Amino acid sequence: MGLSSVSSNTEDLQFCVFDLKRGQYEGQELDKILFFYPADLPFPSQLSVIGLSEGLITFTSIFSPEAPCEVIEAEMHSHVFYQAEPDIWMVMVVEKNTEVQAVWRIDALRKVLKEVHSLFMMFHGSIRLLLMKDPTGGIVRSHLYTFILDYLSDFLVGKKLHLPSFRDSLKERGTVEMLTVGREAAIEVQSLVRVVESCGGNAQCYSLLLFQDLLVSTTLCPDDTINLFTYAVLRLTPHALSSRQSSWSYRGKGNSGSNIITKSSTEAAASFSEQHSPNSWSEDHRSIPRPLQHDKWSKGKDGFLVNDIWHGDSGNSTSPTPVVYLQQTEERMYLCAYQHRSLTLLFVVPVSSIINGEQGISAVKQLILDNASLKMSKVEEKLSKGWGGENAYHVSGYRYLLIDADRNISRASPPSKVATLAKDSLLFLTKLRKEVDIEKSRTRWDCPDHDRDLEICIRAKNNAWVIARATQGKELYMVLENANETVLYASDAVEKFSNRYCNGAFLD
Amino acid sequence: MSAKASTSQPVVGLSASGALSHAYIKYPPLRCNIPESSGLFYDDGNKIIVSQANNQVFSWKIAPFTPAIAPTSDSISEGPILSIKFSLDGKLIAIQRSNHEIQFQHRETGETFTQKCKSESESILGFFWTDCPLCDIVFVKTSGLDLFAYNSEFNMLHLVETRKLNVSWYVYTHESRLVLLASGMQCKAFTGFQLSSVGIIRLPKFEMMMAKAEANSKPVLASKDVYIITVYGRIYCLQVDRVAMLLHSYRFYRDAVVQQGSLPIYSTKIAVSVVDNVLLVHQVDAKVVILYDIFLDSRAPISAPLPLLLRGLPRSSSIGIRSNRKNGDNSEANYLSDLEAIIYGDDWNFLTPDLICDVSNKIMWKLHLDLEAIAASSSDVASVLEFLQRRKLDANKAKHLCLAMSRTVILERRPLSMVARVIDVLVSSYAHSLKTGGYFKGARSDKMATSSAPHENILAAGCMASASGATITGKSFEYGTASLEGEYFQASASSGTDLEDISTAVYFRTDTNIGTGKVPIDTGIQKIEVLPPSLQTDHDGTRNNLSGTSVSGMQEPQLTSPVISPDEMYSFVFCPAEEEMAGDPSYLVAIMIEFLRSASSEKIKVHPNFYVLTVQLLARNEQFAELGLFIINKVLEPSREVALQLLESGRQNRQTRKLGLDMLRQLNLHHDYVVSLAQEGYYLEALRYTRKHKVVTVRPSLFLEGAFASKDPQILAAVLRFFSDFLPGFSHTSDHKIYYHLLTDITMAPVT
Repeated sequence: MGLSSVSSNTEDLQFCVFDLKRGQYEGQELDKILFFYPADLPFPSQLSVIGLSEGLITFTSIFSPEAPCEVIEAEMHSHVFYQAEPDIWMVMVVEKNTEVQAVWRIDALRKVLKEVHSLFMMFHGSIRLLLMKDPTGGIVRSHLYTFILDYLSDFLVGKKLHLPSFRDSLKERGTVEMLTVGREAAIEVQSLVRVVESCGGNAQCYSLLLFQDLLVSTTLCPDDTINLFTYAVLRLTPHALSSRQSSWSYRGKGNSGSNIITKSSTEAAASFSEQHSPNSWSEDHRSIPRPLQHDKWSKGKDGFLVNDIWHGDSGNSTSPTPVVYLQQTEERMYLCAYQHRSLTLLFVVPVSSIINGEQGISAVKQLILDNASLKMSKVEEKLSKGWGGENAYHVSGYRYLLIDADRNISRASPPSKVATLAKDSLLFLTKLRKEVDIEKSRTRWDCPDHDRDLEICIRAKNNAWVIARATQGKELYMVLENANETVLYASDAVEKFSNRYCNGAFLD
Repeated sequence: MSAKASTSQPVVGLSASGALSHAYIKYPPLRCNIPESSGLFYDDGNKIIVSQANNQVFSWKIAPFTPAIAPTSDSISEGPILSIKFSLDGKLIAIQRSNHEIQFQHRETGETFTQKCKSESESILGFFWTDCPLCDIVFVKTSGLDLFAYNSEFNMLHLVETRKLNVSWYVYTHESRLVLLASGMQCKAFTGFQLSSVGIIRLPKFEMMMAKAEANSKPVLASKDVYIITVYGRIYCLQVDRVAMLLHSYRFYRDAVVQQGSLPIYSTKIAVSVVDNVLLVHQVDAKVVILYDIFLDSRAPISAPLPLLLRGLPRSSSIGIRSNRKNGDNSEANYLSDLEAIIYGDDWNFLTPDLICDVSNKIMWKLHLDLEAIAASSSDVASVLEFLQRRKLDANKAKHLCLAMSRTVILERRPLSMVARVIDVLVSSYAHSLKTGGYFKGARSDKMATSSAPHENILAAGCMASASGATITGKSFEYGTASLEGEYFQASASSGTDLEDISTAVYFRTDTNIGTGKVPIDTGIQKIEVLPPSLQTDHDGTRNNLSGTSVSGMQEPQLTSPVISPDEMYSFVFCPAEEEMAGDPSYLVAIMIEFLRSASSEKIKVHPNFYVLTVQLLARNEQFAELGLFIINKVLEPSREVALQLLESGRQNRQTRKLGLDMLRQLNLHHDYVVSLAQEGYYLEALRYTRKHKVVTVRPSLFLEGAFASKDPQILAAVLRFFSDFLPGFSHTSDHKIYYHLLTDITMAPVT
């Protein structure tokens, strides 16, 4: 597993982060670059990618200062733009290939950019802030490199990076998947949540509760919920802890059906980020906490999850409790995670409310153990009983994706079921979703207060029905293979589904 | 009495209640003082006290206990009287004249006849009337029981049955219908019979425990050392063991007598009373009383020993002012000061269950519990509430105390787990009363019912704590609850703010936010005092102050049970708490969730107003994401009220408004849904929905006005077109004309 073998296919993808405010003068252009992947690309090539991007951003912002440039579709490549922070841009360049694997939906790629940036912000704060702390950019660069490479390693299948492609068109990044619970269980859950949050004393604490890889409850605002949920599913839930192979969430590996993730590929992921560490800004990267590094979390004896990511000042054997930044309150919070069987509880306490650091944290943890562990196991039992397993949300005959954009919630057919769809159906769905994306972004600028109602039914080449519906902030995508040929049948199927599973949200 | 004088009452009350006690007797007593009378006889079957003078018997009803009651009198023939008991139907008077004969007199006709012992060797120990179907009266003789039936035709008794056994002495209470016959050298072997309305049950023989002081001495059990008590519908026997200084308890089941453990005693003279199912053990020598609640197996006293107090005694200085007592002079003052001195005097006779007869002064006292003092003496709120929830006699006060205490724990922001326990107690008590049928809205029972009901329960070996609530007379009090609706009512604190300053003013709020939101004020809860009205029974001069509860209990209808319904929890706990708790409502939300958890585990329905309040709290704190979670998971059950509150609370938050819309749709409230959709600007969606669900109640002008206001000619045109196509005759209405012109105006506007 050498450097050469990994870097051989890096041409598929280029990924950069740059700051428009830096390197304004000739000869200082390199200063702009905060991150570039692949790092071994010669600087002139890096600069040419960034230069093109910068030029387009500057040009388009003349017409549309609010939202300058979203994508460049070149003949061979697509350039996906994301403005992470004012003047800080992330650009991803993906190769358009005749090979069908490389049919991209730009929105899905942009969501990858957004996700990595949000997670970065959660652990390290904003890039701008880090730049202000260290104007040379050294700190930011080293942080970005380890972080983004750790993040990208999750997309590693075999030796290739598999970014979300048409095969993932029944998935939606940047949303949470929720567990459906009965009223009684929901009340028990809420009761548990209140007890847990009361353990923080007078400080405003928040919590997030997951069952398996599904969200059960949150008291955080939607953005923070998504971030913590994402992180939990990536690294903290029982699935994430045991190995990454059995996860069936949309974040799960092996998204294109190749589920053969072995230990060696985990090592590959580890070495991936090691190998690509830049040597141009050589610093001691070992001092940088790498929250996304694999296999660093484990379950402690008391049920709380422990890690060896964050390093203590005095070389303690146990790693100190990680600190995260909340977007909503812009507060620094200690992050504690407790796990009981399938139940994972994330609990954040304001750093300002804990007076004596780790001691204070362990006092809070003890309080949680005393007051809530019984309730925890009760809730876990209840949820386990009511849970239908990995295919709980499979609806036979349908392959669907349901998005509630208001709440950032999605639900989809299980990946194993989606994998049974024909390639053509998925390609059509991707096309359809691209159309809807365009339509949506138009309405977003036209009338932000009003959701667009939308109904599209397409008969694909392989006679499958590919359907998109949108109403009042809810979106439904559906593929019906082996269905009757009339459009009436298709719309009936949608209505049935809507009445049964969406409380009749998509009415005719 | 004038209203002015009544205002001075709380001051009078304060003087007595200032001292600490958990049980008290209340001035004035019932005076059975007839000139030249001799002897007081207690007829516990009829709950009357009987005195005789000059060939007359005077009888005072003591249930319900009203000190001012006048006696009724009957004339009888001359002769010695050992005891007097009226028949249960009140037609006959039975007078035991000697150890061998009992004389009967018909009250209306005055006819008499006499029943004598057959042989000289046996003597009559006593007798009692019974409602057993077999017989009417039972003679207890040294040779056993004689059961007689009364034949009204021939005006005589005829023997129905005889139970032969040696009897040294006996104890009987009408309450338990149980007669215990003592026999043997030490009088500690017992045979029991229950003569209940279903027949005669013979209990297995049993022996009581007697500790020996020395090897050879064998103490003899006396009848005054054995008490039959009825608690929570169960029958116990308590026996004083002077040597061991213990009070042994035995519980009677149909087929067994089981020893239940012992209570320590601290006085050679002991008396036992039962007030509202609480056992009072009077340590007469020590002049203190210890309270036990033997509902659970715990033998721990409710609280520390405290003296029995006389309350409501007017101060000697105020006697002059009290002009209503005609003989209010020095002798009266002396009399009053005497009363204070005689607590646990030698002449006190303790009558079952809760009366004290002062033989020498010829007065009767009734024992009362001071629930507030008991409640205040324990810091374990949950167990105090459990105790209060079991109180039936003064259910009003118990209920107010429960409400006040639960409000207080919330306002004091006690730990969540502790408040959760408090809520669990109240909710499970309510659920239990629902199951056993003890909770009826508006149903009342007089106090008589509670004391006469439980006699059957020896049959049910299980504990039926609520049995006494079964005989509920449907007597309803015509207190206008309608007057409570609509506005804010202030409950004036009737006394000093002893406990909590929060109790001085409690606002009862009716929610006017919602069109149909009628606050669920249970007819039984509150007649809130505004000013002391004439209803007040001032003659007894003992308006005992309710320090903690802020609402006077005097003028409220009698409740049978202090259980608190979810609606009352909402109105009197959560609403006041919400108003008084400033700042972050998340603590209150947490409490409300605990309440929901408790209610859902007991499968109790919660009123929509409760959910509405939760929505308000969450929205006020801008916890819209959580609110959404609550709605989606149906933690807050869907209802029209909740939906409208979501629309209202979501004015600043579109997601929340949408939740309200979705809820209306899911509830099939078509009209509300369509109107709300139109208000949100979803005209076309609303119209499509109208057509699909055939909603005909919405006026076209609503859509037309909205569409016109949106200034979008496409929408206006679409709406017009819709009505033209689907509403027959629309094209001839004025609406059509007006808006058609407006539409052409708009579309022409850019040109001109």
